[in-house]
Amino acid sequence: MTGHVDSLYVYPIKGLSPQRLESVPLEPGRGVPHDRTFALARPEGRYEHGMAAPLPKDQFFMLARDERLAGLATRLDPATGGLTISVREHPVLTARLTTADGARAVSAFFARTLDCAEGQAPLLAHAPGRRFTDVSVVSDAMMNAVSVINLASVRDLERRVGAPVDPLRFRANLYVDGLPPFSELDLVGKDIRIGAVRLRAVLNTKRCAATEVNPTTARRDLSVPRLLMREYGHAEMGVYAEVVTGGEIRPGDAVRFGAAP
Amino acid sequence: MSGTLTVRIAAKRMLTPRIREFTLAAADGTALPAFTAGAHVNVDTPGGATRSYSLTGDPRRRDRYVIAVAREADGRGGSASLVDGAEPGDHLRISPPVNTFPLHRAARYLLVAGGVGITPLRAMYHDLVRRGADVRLLYLTRTPGDTAYRDELAADEAVRLHHSAHAGRLDLWPYLAEPDDDARIYCCGPPSLMDEVHALTMHWRPSRVHFEDFAGVSGTDGTSEPFRALWRPTGQVVDVPATATLLQALRDTGVEVPSSCESGTCGTCRLHRHGGEAEHRDLVLEPHERERYLMPCVSRAPGGATIEVGPVAQAQ
Repeated sequence: MTGHVDSLYVYPIKGLSPQRLESVPLEPGRGVPHDRTFALARPEGRYEHGMAAPLPKDQFFMLARDERLAGLATRLDPATGGLTISVREHPVLTARLTTADGARAVSAFFARTLDCAEGQAPLLAHAPGRRFTDVSVVSDAMMNAVSVINLASVRDLERRVGAPVDPLRFRANLYVDGLPPFSELDLVGKDIRIGAVRLRAVLNTKRCAATEVNPTTARRDLSVPRLLMREYGHAEMGVYAEVVTGGEIRPGDAVRFGAAP
Repeated sequence: MSGTLTVRIAAKRMLTPRIREFTLAAADGTALPAFTAGAHVNVDTPGGATRSYSLTGDPRRRDRYVIAVAREADGRGGSASLVDGAEPGDHLRISPPVNTFPLHRAARYLLVAGGVGITPLRAMYHDLVRRGADVRLLYLTRTPGDTAYRDELAADEAVRLHHSAHAGRLDLWPYLAEPDDDARIYCCGPPSLMDEVHALTMHWRPSRVHFEDFAGVSGTDGTSEPFRALWRPTGQVVDVPATATLLQALRDTGVEVPSSCESGTCGTCRLHRHGGEAEHRDLVLEPHERERYLMPCVSRAPGGATIEVGPVAQAQ
């Protein structure tokens, strides 16, 4: 089965905007560079500054609960730590995350937009080597897995529910196309090859309420997990894969599912 | 919140080619229940449907309610039956006023109205002006001729009228760019306007921004699944099929639940949720209320689940 890479995305801050990439350098055992390396920790939660241990996703602000995050267009330049937040193309905050002042400004901004109680603010979570992915609590290997969405599967769901389903609801790193719908769910233990790059599928992705949020309107308007369950008898869409052999990948690269030919 | 009122149409007048104003008085001439700015009543329209209308008149007057009704040619028919078929002297059955869009204390107010969405905001505007509050009203319509209460509002400096047919869409950003925790925004209008204000206030505290939405939601759309409800007062278990709402299923087994809009907007049918997971679909309950209550006209439980509900304890 041969398809191609449609698009590549990084989500530098958990719950915030996707950033499209023209190429991604992958290394064995590592995820997409800068993916989910920042998060907004709940002020009443267990996160403390500098904490390197994994925490479950309910310790952070996230789309599954805080759909409002989708209404902000954020862009982080990983090289400089410069963050810009916009509301319908109007910049409303620019800050450098890597400075104390910048981190404070970001905390104050999200305290307001997430309506935290007086005197409370989200903590900007960041620790060397830590990614704030939902599966980071499973293992560090899972934390470093790349998330893959098969666009044919999303189209199949669209057709069945009779409503558009924005693939970005699934917030994957790697979007592939040209392959049979849901063929990605039969891959666990097998390879995904993109040129010389080899990924090993490790876990089908069970979808949560984050996928209910329309990435454009920031409203919860489609019960995706419930619809998946109704249509297919399971709530899976997409697969996590670990990088076995590294290399550079780009949109248009050929993708092969399954064992090596 | 039980009981209905019978009112008499005391006056009907044309505000615009599409909008009629109705003045309603108690049929027996007694004082009507008090209300606050932002409140609405649910009206049993001559066409049979129940519709929610904001009270646009002066809350200090106890002898009358004033509503303004836009004729929705492609709507569900309730409004058209009022505009075309209800005349002075006729009687209507309405609910007592309910306020799901109340004014909160604030240092500053921005009211954003689109079209017939002016109705609750007009009551709020006059109320705030009387109190000496810092208030501004943006009132957006297509043309001057489509502008209900234009003469009354046009003279006020705190009111900005904008007609899109001549001037294009108003850029709301200058009014919303600076988030202000001490201000409150109230918006009522067509979905496109409310979506715009929603999108342009993402950097505000959401608790400071209020929307009134009577468009309604459905309790049995394509994603509904069967579940069970345990009615706490009797212990009876009620099966709710995918094609019925919880409200309908309760009624079919003889449980009385007062209701009105049956689209998740009016707040009449509120039930206490004692246990079980809920799929909230209403537009009435605040997030913190959703932990204890549920609107059975639209809200459900996940497929196969059981939810335990009962009546809301009587007030007072």
